[in-house]
Amino acid sequence: MSADFQRRFDDSNVAQQRFISLFLRSEREIFRYVAALVPNVSDAEDIVQQTALVLWQKFDAYDPAQPFTPWACRFALNITRQWIERRKRWQALLDNGLADELAQRRQELQPEFEARLKHLNACLEKLPHLQRSLVEAYYYERANIDSLSKRTGKTAAAIYKMLQRIRQTLRTCVENQVKTEAA
Amino acid sequence: MKLGFPSPEFDDAVAAVCHGSATEAEMQALNELLRSDSRARDEYLMQVELHARLASNTEFFACAAVGNTAFPEPEIQPNLEHKDAIPNNLTTLPSRRIVAKALALAACIGLLAAGIWKLWFWKNGDKAGITSTAVAVLSRVVDVQWGPGGKLFREGSALEPGWLQLESGLAQVIFYSGARVVIEGPAKFRLVTQNEADCPTGRLLVEVPPPAQGFRLKTENIEVVDRGTRFAIHATHSRTEVHVFNGKVEVGSKTIPKQILHEGEAAVVAGNTPPQRMAAMAAAFSSLFDFQERSLAYEALRYEQWQVANAILNQDPSLLVHLEFQELNDGNWTLRNSAEHNRSVEDATIVGCQRAEGRWREKQALEFHTVNDRVRLMIPGEFDALTISVWVCVKGLDRKLNSLVMCDGFEPCTIHWLIRNDGVLGLTVFGTNAGNLQIAATPPVLTLDRLGTWLHLVVVLDGRSRQVIHYVNGTPVGRETLKIGPPYRLGSAELGNWNAKSGPNPAPNLIRNLSGAMDEFELFNRALTDAEVSELYVKGRPN
Repeated sequence: MSADFQRRFDDSNVAQQRFISLFLRSEREIFRYVAALVPNVSDAEDIVQQTALVLWQKFDAYDPAQPFTPWACRFALNITRQWIERRKRWQALLDNGLADELAQRRQELQPEFEARLKHLNACLEKLPHLQRSLVEAYYYERANIDSLSKRTGKTAAAIYKMLQRIRQTLRTCVENQVKTEAA
Repeated sequence: MKLGFPSPEFDDAVAAVCHGSATEAEMQALNELLRSDSRARDEYLMQVELHARLASNTEFFACAAVGNTAFPEPEIQPNLEHKDAIPNNLTTLPSRRIVAKALALAACIGLLAAGIWKLWFWKNGDKAGITSTAVAVLSRVVDVQWGPGGKLFREGSALEPGWLQLESGLAQVIFYSGARVVIEGPAKFRLVTQNEADCPTGRLLVEVPPPAQGFRLKTENIEVVDRGTRFAIHATHSRTEVHVFNGKVEVGSKTIPKQILHEGEAAVVAGNTPPQRMAAMAAAFSSLFDFQERSLAYEALRYEQWQVANAILNQDPSLLVHLEFQELNDGNWTLRNSAEHNRSVEDATIVGCQRAEGRWREKQALEFHTVNDRVRLMIPGEFDALTISVWVCVKGLDRKLNSLVMCDGFEPCTIHWLIRNDGVLGLTVFGTNAGNLQIAATPPVLTLDRLGTWLHLVVVLDGRSRQVIHYVNGTPVGRETLKIGPPYRLGSAELGNWNAKSGPNPAPNLIRNLSGAMDEFELFNRALTDAEVSELYVKGRPN
């Protein structure tokens, strides 16, 4: 193998590793950005995967002096738009400019989210055991609804309702924490 | 449908969107509300953000490792088993998820970079059983139009003796002998044996590595016998051109006496007249050279992706041993253990063994051939579960039992992992009492057409869910209930051979050396899931 050939491969090797480390550091942020538009977890993850591939293709054009996450989120928005275009249901939700509006408003609300959601962990700890276990099974183990349904003997609708109530409890809890802080 | 805000209907709709269960009508109603009411929009974003953080903040659940008692997973769910296995090491879970993601990501971007995304979805079709007579594999095709009436082949198809007819395009065939032939359509090409082919018409570039020397190629007027080389053929019905670019070939026919063509020489044979000599012209075969170069660049890329993926995998705390079979110089008699977190296992020692080519040209491998060839390892400790993964190219099943990984002797709590001469993969687990043992065996999976190709073999020994699972190329091929519980030990063990501890002249049934090459070995102190095994396969598969 010629020295030049070797160097080119070494270079692309380094680039790949650099990309992977940057991407993994930003992945959470990119996921949340996408989830603001497509909140369903598995769909949002698909979009993030597709985004990763596009980002790698465009990685040559990335300026390391600039922060990675905003650069990545611009592509994520485009991929999300393309993804929505092929899905009528999601179009119904995000049409008439709502997608852009949500993405922009989410940026503006960041400080408020931070102020509230920094209490999320403490609020999770306060959940009764059963609720906490369900959150863990759904969000962390990513158990699908059928398997949760089998494990608990409850219907899918009942589990969705439980999850919804748990999120409402957490929502109320973080608000109360913010109020306590202010008092 | 119309939504008010605040209202229980609004909350239900937001929840349904989060769960992916919202109807189109609900989504449309939300769209209208969110565009007209900024308070509703902000509340929507807040609820969605909370949901997204629950889904993305793995550290919330770092303590989940002690097991989810209210919603226990089904018995054979390996996730929980593995959590139970390491209750004191709570931080490893999220990092393992990251490692798995990084692995998948590295594999994805590599595939994309190579422009072969479609291969991601392509599964190598299993060739039928032990009676297979395949002699080659179709390794790559570009823009191929197959001729009318001929068979259609896909990349990765095993090829039995018979005709390949190309109207146009390029195809690379790798014979099991190792000879690689790039064919440019229009061409008629007949596979005869592992080391022989006919080509009445067409253009070919043939590359023959040393083990395949003697590769024979017949056109209508001549026969070309390779003597270790790279050469090209342009054949039409009455005329054949042979160009030699490296090494030499022998050209002859019934009416033309044999003669040698050397590097840089070419000959034209028309009818029965003696060959007309000229200089070899690479330019006339540039499309074939291009194709070959691209294949090689692709191979180099796959090799590189494998290295990147390994750098990430080596951080996995459950990885006890990782032998990558790199830096195999003649003077070097050790294999480095590159698992970062487990320094308790020393480097492995090579005894005998030939250095050979691995899954990719630049990848090294060790070839086990004689009864002396072996790699010795010392792995201290006791385990509840183990996963062993190897990449092997089995040349033949010469012994009744052919060793993959075997602990010395028949010690209590140890294992023997091997291939039986009928292609069955087997794991023997020894219990604490003498004579107490169990053999977990698969159906015959190492069929003849798989000999000589690189295979990913994995066995998972899971003492918690009490099962043994075998995998070939990422796919489970056998699951068996395990009667012998943990702990399991390895201690002194060998790859590719077995130390029966029986004295200087072992009985024939105690000779269990492997005939074949190995170029990667991994040992984990936990049971990998189906998905993780499949990721390991994707990380390492040759193309």
